[in-house]
Formats: sequence, C-alpha cells, structure tokens
Amino acid sequence: MSHSRSIKLVLPAIIFGLLLTSCFKDVDFGQSQDISLEPDLEVDLLFYQLNETDFLDSGTNAFTPVIRDTVRLEFLDDDYIQDGLTYAALRFKHENKFPYEIKSNIKFLRENGRREFNVAYIIPPGSKSSSAVVDTTHILEGNNIVNLQRSIQMVVELEIVGANQSLEGELEFMSKGLFRFEF
Amino acid sequence: MQRILPILIFLVAIICKGQNRPLLYNVDDLPQSLLQNPGARIDYIRHVGIPFFSQIHLSAGSTGVTAYDIFADDGSGVNQRVRDVMRDISAGDYFSVNEQMEILSLGWKMGDRGYFSTGIYQELDVFAYFPKDPAVLAFEGNADYIGQDFDFSDANFTGEVLTVYHAGFNYKVDPKLSVGGRLKLYSGIFNAESTDNEGVFRTIETPGGPNFYRHEVSGLNVTVNTSGYASLKNEEGMTVDKAVAELMSRSLFGQNGGIGVDLGFNYRVTNQFSVNASVQDLGLMFHQKDVENYNYFGSFQTNGLEPLFPELDDNEATIPYWDIFEDRVDLNLKDETTNNAYTTWRPLKYNASFEFGTGKSILPCDYLISKKPRFMNLFGMLISGVNRPKGSTYGVTAYWDRKVNDHLRFRLAYAVDEFSITKLGFMMSSRFKNFNIYLAANDIIGYTNLAKANSASLQLGMQFIFKNL
Repeated sequence: MSHSRSIKLVLPAIIFGLLLTSCFKDVDFGQSQDISLEPDLEVDLLFYQLNETDFLDSGTNAFTPVIRDTVRLEFLDDDYIQDGLTYAALRFKHENKFPYEIKSNIKFLRENGRREFNVAYIIPPGSKSSSAVVDTTHILEGNNIVNLQRSIQMVVELEIVGANQSLEGELEFMSKGLFRFEF
Repeated sequence: MQRILPILIFLVAIICKGQNRPLLYNVDDLPQSLLQNPGARIDYIRHVGIPFFSQIHLSAGSTGVTAYDIFADDGSGVNQRVRDVMRDISAGDYFSVNEQMEILSLGWKMGDRGYFSTGIYQELDVFAYFPKDPAVLAFEGNADYIGQDFDFSDANFTGEVLTVYHAGFNYKVDPKLSVGGRLKLYSGIFNAESTDNEGVFRTIETPGGPNFYRHEVSGLNVTVNTSGYASLKNEEGMTVDKAVAELMSRSLFGQNGGIGVDLGFNYRVTNQFSVNASVQDLGLMFHQKDVENYNYFGSFQTNGLEPLFPELDDNEATIPYWDIFEDRVDLNLKDETTNNAYTTWRPLKYNASFEFGTGKSILPCDYLISKKPRFMNLFGMLISGVNRPKGSTYGVTAYWDRKVNDHLRFRLAYAVDEFSITKLGFMMSSRFKNFNIYLAANDIIGYTNLAKANSASLQLGMQFIFKNL
C-alpha cells in the first residue's frame, strides 16, 4: 500500500470514526427536571410615621386611642406566591417616642375578612430623646405557609394605652418580607 | 523565513483569542473558499454544487459553560452546579449557533483572468450573551445582593434566519495579485434582536429612611425588535411545527430585504509566501414588514406602601393603596408595542492570513506544460473575527495543508479562540474525476465527548469541480 493511499484511507476513517462515535458522556440530561429556581426576595412591605395628630379626630379633635388601616397586598394572590412560596420571614419594627405603651396588632386576613394569622405585641413607652424599639420577625414555613398564601389583606392596628388628648410623640413603623421561592 | 515563521505563529497565537471557522479558508480547490474570500486564489475553471448538499455547515459553542458543567452525572446537586456556573460565568460569555446550507452553487471561468461564482444559501445565526444579572436575580433573588445593581444591559442577543442570494467575481490582476468581490442580497425570514439595553434594578438599605430598603428601577430602556415573528404569534392555533413550516415556506422569498458585500484579495509576496485578507457580510438588513418592537422604559422607586390611617365609617372602603401603587408603576415603568421599521448590521466577519509553501510538486517533463509547480505543503496562519454587539470575537488558527496528490488534500489545524485553547481541526477534500467531496470538523478533541466541549463545528459538502490540468 502506497504512502498516499494509506493516508487516503486511514485519516478519513479516523475522522469519520470520531464523528460517528461522538456522543455525550458522563452526563445525565434527566437532571433538567430537577433544576429549580430558588430566589430569595427581600421586599419592603408597609411603613408609616405617626404623631399625636393621628390619634385625634380631625373634626372634633377628640382623642382616639385605637386606629387601624387595611392594605390589600394583591401580590399575595399571584401565581408565583401561590405555587412557589416555601418560606417567608416577615419583619416588623416599631420605634416609639410616645411616653405610652402601644399595643400593635398586625393581622393578615383572607378576602372574606377571616383572620389567617396575626402578630401582636406591646411596644414599650419611649421618650422624645430615646425611642423604645420592638423588632420582631414572624416566620412562616412548612404547613404554615398557606396562611400567607390565603391572605390578601394586611391590617395594622394600634391602641395607645393610658394617653389622653394632650399626648405628644412619634411612632415609626417599618416592615419587610424575605420570601423564599422554589419554582 | 522558515525560521521566522514558527516564532511569528507562536506570537500571534498567544496574543489572540477568539472564534473562527478556518478549515475551508484558502483551500484553493474548493469553491467554498470563495465564500470566505472572494479574492482567494483558485485552481479550477468551473464548479456546480449538488443542490442543498454543496455545503452544510453547523457550529455551536458556549464560552463559559459546557453541558458537563451543568449535567455531570457525579452525584452532586444540579442546582448547586447551576449556581457555581452562574458565579463563574460573566456577562461577556456567550452562546452561539450558526448554520449554513448552500441551496445552489455554481461558477465558471470568464476570460483568462476572471471567475464568476453565484449561488443561494440559507443561514441561521443566533448569538446571545449570558444575561448574568437578570439570571442571578431570577435564580437567586435580591436577598444576597442588597446594594448591588442588576444590570439590564446584560440582556443582549441577536438571532436571524435568512436566505442569501450572491454573485461574485474573482479577478487575477497579475501573477501576484488576485482580488474579488461578492454582492449579496439578503432575504430575511426571521429576526429578533435586543442590544444596547440600559437600566438597573437595585435594592438598597436606607438607614434613617422610612423603611428598611428602597427598591429602584433606574433608567430602564429595553427594546426587543422582531421581524417575521408577529404574524406567527398572531395566527390562531400556531404550534412550533406550524411555525417552522411557515418559516420554511418563506425560505426563498422572505419579507424583508438587505444588501451586503464581501471583499478580498490574495497577494503572492514571493513564490512561496502569500498574504490575503477578506471581509464578509459588510451589509445591512432593512426590517420593514411584519415588524413588532417591544419597548420597556422608565424609572421607579418605592419603599413599600404607606397606610394613612384615615378616619372611616364602618361602611367606608379603605384607601386602595395597592391600586394606587400599580398606577404609579404603570405611569413610571411603561411597556409599549410598536411597529417601527428598524435596520440591523449583518455580523461582519473578517479574515487575514499568510501562507508559506514548501515542497514543490513534480511536474511532468513536458515542454508543452506551462503550469507553475504547486507547493505540496502549505503552512498558514489565519486571524479571523466576527463583529458582535459587545465587540468582536477573535480566533487564530495555524494550519498545515497537505496536497497529497491531485485528488486528495487534507488540512490539520490548531486554533485558539474564546471557546478553547486546544482546538484541533481536520479537513479532507477528495476528488473522484470531477466529483468532489469534503469534510471538515473543528475541535476534534471535543467530539470524543461533546458534553465537555465548549464548541463543535462541522462542514461537509459535495459538488462537481472541473479543473484544467
């Protein structure tokens, strides 16, 4: 067999052999089923800054010890919450400069107003120069996560204890959620 | 020259990186070399391609990740591997797929010095940078990235399917210089592109602010242009199969046109040493029909929702804070669908090479034969690049081209590019009378296990080539 003839046969055979036997080795594409997006999202929720006027009736100037408001959190009804939420850490922080104890009750309600869960605590009295701080985190995971998934309304309710019409001070509230998903 | 050449090759190899398709470049007995350099030297007088089979080219690559990196069957968790890859890969890494199929190819000698070639080919080209920041945001969320920007400019891709009608002329100016040009008419079948996007999303801590964080979308300006897509999208009952069939039906006469040129030359400095260069697809596509543009723009920031504790009777509804919030979002972050014509550059490719020949062929001892002897061994170095949205991709290839005899030629190549620094290529072209068949495969090592290969490419074809021997 001449030199050129052997090249003519051997080289193409090697290359064709490589191409024909080429394949994907040491991999398992079935794992694509297991790939999941697992984002952890930090999201601000509600905030407010109140002073004495918020506890006085705007018409009569009468002292109102209990005030409340309701905010619809429509995103809780979205598919990614309903289908993918596995964990939530809700953090609430109050800074009180009123010299009175304040009862805070944060409620999460269903569409029909039925309570799913609440976070209630007492904020100690503070002073103009020094705030009393309550910083708490409420965890929902496992079976409890449905409590958040069923909720659509967040009610913030405050009751100031022992105050009267001449109260002075400020109350700040911050809240956020850490939402962990698995898609 | 023989001493300088290896040094030159080494120097060029270490300073260049990139992407290339060099195995058919400068192959003077294949018409496909005229598609890469219309000024290339050729040694045939006529060619006719087998329709649809004169060139089938496939290449795919990924600079930052292999299939093995994600799907390794090693018992570790696939999601952890995805996270590792996303950490290692950058927004400059990219995925590319390119396919070309010659539908028609023919050419013939015109006069003593000219060669006319023409044909039709269909091309698919997809090029996408890894959208790192949007991917990290989707995969990991913002919790571990407080204070960091997620940049929407990372979303950057182009994709097109088109048919190219071309006619070129190769002219031998003198025994040293040959030049050539090729006019191309593009017929666009499908195009989608999103480049030059702007804007960031960030979550920043706000000590002293009203809430823990401030979420900001700043300077968002994202546009996705499409042509040939709206009609597919709007057709009822459209499935992937139907969409592919519809695209195929547009193959010969797409809805949008474009024009471009290839230019090139080859100059023989000495009998043994030649230099050449070319540009391909210096052209534009004008997208005017079946166009749909998706625009997302604006800026917005929020600290959350602020309840105002209004004094309400039992029957009064609460303030619709969420609706107000959504209205603010809609007012500040807009999305629009328009039908504005747009123009895209075709991905410009450029090549420059030098070649050194040794080992003259032995010609028959016949005074009637005036042909110059050919070199049986050609050593060459090719630098090639492609213009892409974030800049050019480069590659450099060193090759040994061996003409075994008039019927068999092969080329061994070593290349360094952005996919790999150990890219071995092989090309073989064989002729049985006037019938030619060729096969070229790049990154041969990768073919042993495609899962671990960053890229693979293959060209094959068959045609009739007539020589004046």
